[in-house]
Amino acid sequence: MTWLKLVEGYMPMQMISELAVCILVFSIINYSLKRAGMGLPKFWAGIFVWCFVNLFYLKYRIYPPIPFSVRAIYGTVSACGIFMWVSGSQQEWEEFKRPIINVLDANTGMTKFLRTALLILLPIGLWGFAYNSFLPSFDEPIELRTVHPAPPATTKVHGKTYVLQTAANPYRINPEGKYDQAYSNAHIVSQDMGRLMKDVKNPEDNPWDPNAKGYIKHVREGGEIFFQNCHFCHGDNLNGRGLWAFAFNPIPANFTDAGTIAQLQETFVFWRVAKGGIGLPGEGFPWASVMPPWEQHLTVDEIWKVIMFEYWHTGYYPRTWE
Amino acid sequence: MGRLFIQMTRVKKKFWAASALMVMGGLLLLPIFLSVTAVAGGGGAPAGGPPADVVAAQKAGEEGEPEKIEMGRDVYYKTEGPAIGDGAPVTADNETFYPRYNFESRVLLWVANQQHLYYGSFVLAVPIFCMCIEFAGMVSKDKAMAKKYDQLAYDFIKISLTAYSLTAILGGILIFTFLTLYPAFFGYLSSIFRPVMHIYALTFVAESATLYIYYYGWDKMREGVLKWVHLSMSVILNVIGTVLMFLANSWIAFMMSPAGVDEQGRYLGNIWHVIHTALWNPLNVHRILGNMAFGGGVVAAYAAYRFLSSKTDEERAHYDWMGYIAMSLGVAFLIPLPFAGYWLMREVYAYRQQMGITLMGGLLAWLFIIQATMIGILFLTTNYYLWQALGRMTGGERFQRYIKYLVFILVVGLLVFITPHTIVMTPAELKAMGGQQHPVLGNYGVMSAKNGGINAIIMTTVLSFIWYQRGNRVPTVSWAKFGNIFMGCFFVIAQLNNVWLACYGYFIPANVRIGLSVPQVAGTLSCLLLMTPLNLAMLKNGRQLGPIRWGQIPPRSQYAIIMLATAFTWMMGLMGYIRSSVRLFWHVNEVMRDNSPWAYTHTIGFAANVISFNVLFFWISIMFVFWLGTLGAKKIPVPAPAGQPVPTPQSATGH
Repeated sequence: MTWLKLVEGYMPMQMISELAVCILVFSIINYSLKRAGMGLPKFWAGIFVWCFVNLFYLKYRIYPPIPFSVRAIYGTVSACGIFMWVSGSQQEWEEFKRPIINVLDANTGMTKFLRTALLILLPIGLWGFAYNSFLPSFDEPIELRTVHPAPPATTKVHGKTYVLQTAANPYRINPEGKYDQAYSNAHIVSQDMGRLMKDVKNPEDNPWDPNAKGYIKHVREGGEIFFQNCHFCHGDNLNGRGLWAFAFNPIPANFTDAGTIAQLQETFVFWRVAKGGIGLPGEGFPWASVMPPWEQHLTVDEIWKVIMFEYWHTGYYPRTWE
Repeated sequence: MGRLFIQMTRVKKKFWAASALMVMGGLLLLPIFLSVTAVAGGGGAPAGGPPADVVAAQKAGEEGEPEKIEMGRDVYYKTEGPAIGDGAPVTADNETFYPRYNFESRVLLWVANQQHLYYGSFVLAVPIFCMCIEFAGMVSKDKAMAKKYDQLAYDFIKISLTAYSLTAILGGILIFTFLTLYPAFFGYLSSIFRPVMHIYALTFVAESATLYIYYYGWDKMREGVLKWVHLSMSVILNVIGTVLMFLANSWIAFMMSPAGVDEQGRYLGNIWHVIHTALWNPLNVHRILGNMAFGGGVVAAYAAYRFLSSKTDEERAHYDWMGYIAMSLGVAFLIPLPFAGYWLMREVYAYRQQMGITLMGGLLAWLFIIQATMIGILFLTTNYYLWQALGRMTGGERFQRYIKYLVFILVVGLLVFITPHTIVMTPAELKAMGGQQHPVLGNYGVMSAKNGGINAIIMTTVLSFIWYQRGNRVPTVSWAKFGNIFMGCFFVIAQLNNVWLACYGYFIPANVRIGLSVPQVAGTLSCLLLMTPLNLAMLKNGRQLGPIRWGQIPPRSQYAIIMLATAFTWMMGLMGYIRSSVRLFWHVNEVMRDNSPWAYTHTIGFAANVISFNVLFFWISIMFVFWLGTLGAKKIPVPAPAGQPVPTPQSATGH
């Protein structure tokens, strides 16, 4: 059953594709049953699709589990979608609401029983809901953590002021020793799923080559700093699953995720590394980060180098504006 | 001889009509020219030269004892200029700078501002619709249709006229609120924008005059060349209206991204720099489109309300048609709105990175998720309305069976579009997720996927519209089969291209990824701009399956329109709040600090409640305006004296 596994990196498209296939299969089965005169009534079809997507697929199929707030959003949107589907034409709408009208009209013994049961159960259900919501809760409070708070315009590290909008990594250089974003972008590891080095024989691509110079040599130096200081938390694969990672909540940032360093300017990362969790601004509430202010342990050069290694290793490019 | 005389009379009439138009236009635009001259002479030199008082001081210096003129450096343009005045006042939390009631002054100002803006947007948008509809009526070859269009344009402007008075009243309330609650800040702003505020006031006079001539001259100028003169009045009206909005935009753009002043906020003598700040033009474009979409939504809601309360089939047919026209106009401007918003955000990021991150990745990011939800509601509702509208056409049912597939694309697109990057969760959920980033949601939460989501939604909306156009018609051109295959392939390729680029965006540098939005948007716009005309070309002289049964549309469609308009209103309120609160604790970003007790960002819940209050207040008041509009229409017919024929109404349009 390994083919059923969700593959990291492909999961977003895999989820959409699986949902599409499930709904297509359901449509085909229902259509065939309809042809045979046994089709699922629209009312039950709508309820079935909603329950399948929200109570089964999103809750149990997707791992790690999706937080309730997001499932609530998805549930609401899919309910709207199902309403649009069942009321897209007047004929379908009539078909959808027929069971509801039948129960309300109560012309048969069964519908009469259902209507009576609903009249009793609905208020009890609402009462139970109200009772539960008034009960004192001992759950931890919900947090709206700002993952990427807005950085300051400038930051002062080791006595020097850096303008975050314009500062650049001094080690991101081409063989001529000039700042070259395109050159360094061309020599990061492969962006395929394996994240492998491009050409281990080429000194320009292999930081472990003794002949490596310039940019790629600085990457190696950054790597050494990373493995001396950072990997305990951020992990060997930079995926936030280091030796000590699970002592913290939240666990350290996963640099291989598309939502972290790939979204940020290099100077943003410089500011965060230098100032650490303690240097988070007010916007970074609830300041849930134990990262030390690395400016107290590393030099400016070391910080730039380690950042460069992180981008090189993950295969991401720092954000640039032009 | 007689014919010659008639011809000469016609030529004369044309000449006088054209002359009258030129004179009217000239007179109405005169205040603007006068003010511009005044700015050049007194308020500050547009070309960057020092204003008159500085020139006088310089002359005095040259003639007598030398007087030192302090120079300042523009915070944005980085140019040097003579520093005029004391700069931005440094305020403190006391009654002198912030006089107050026993209530939060900021909320009072917020409500006054929002209400003025709602009405302002409405009265700026409606004349543009009138212009389009009146023009459509004039060029229509079908006389009955031309008359209907003319009546519709008149109905629109009638609604707008009452709203116009209310706009002015709300503007007054807003100024008084500023003067009484934020005197130091307003004093500073008016010292910087002194000439612009005068131009604004004069332009408002010109706007009023044009609007009244346009409205009250409707019957007098209903035929021949005079009708063209009348239409030209609407063009002038809209030009003035747009200038008004641009001037007002310059104030808020200055507050967000100041220019033309130095670090202390001292005016440097160049009024153009003060107006033309980094965010002025993106705001202008975004607001024009937003106003139009909003105006269309409000008029459509009016028609929906009248439809639902109609007693006769004729009334239902009229208001069904009116709602359709208004909604179509609104949606036509809604489609490019996300692209204008994208440009605005791009400029925000370019101006100040931290401002952009506060908006879209930080403190206000969740409000953007709510905004995305509202945008999704707008597009979903539009699609829903079009599907319902298919039901009033013979032959429309052949498309309705495919609705479920469109629903799937729309829902998936919306789910991706509204997935938050910053997720609300309990610490237990955070731990279960194994970190802040979710391997699925994390990917949906960033821009690359979101661009794909919204483009998929817009493309589907275009497809729904094309189906609607085909509802009761079948193409009969010889190349119909080829055309259908081509259109089908075009849509499929555009969607695949969109999805592919959304995925590819994760594997390339951010600056290239931002550039990818261009081919994505190009695909979407190609669907709109190429496929819609192609569809019309295919349907030309097509076989009609039956007439459009105006008025025979389910009430659900009208509720959808009302929801559309409410979502517009709510979204406008929300975006106004986001745009304003991104300044955080600044009155004027990085120049004048807000030291009032309310210089903090509200919780999302509180902000949502105030926005909802604003929306409710607006809709209650606009219902009053609508009601006033119906009062004028309810004339009690005077019974004709016995034995005398009933006189025929003079006006072709009956008003």
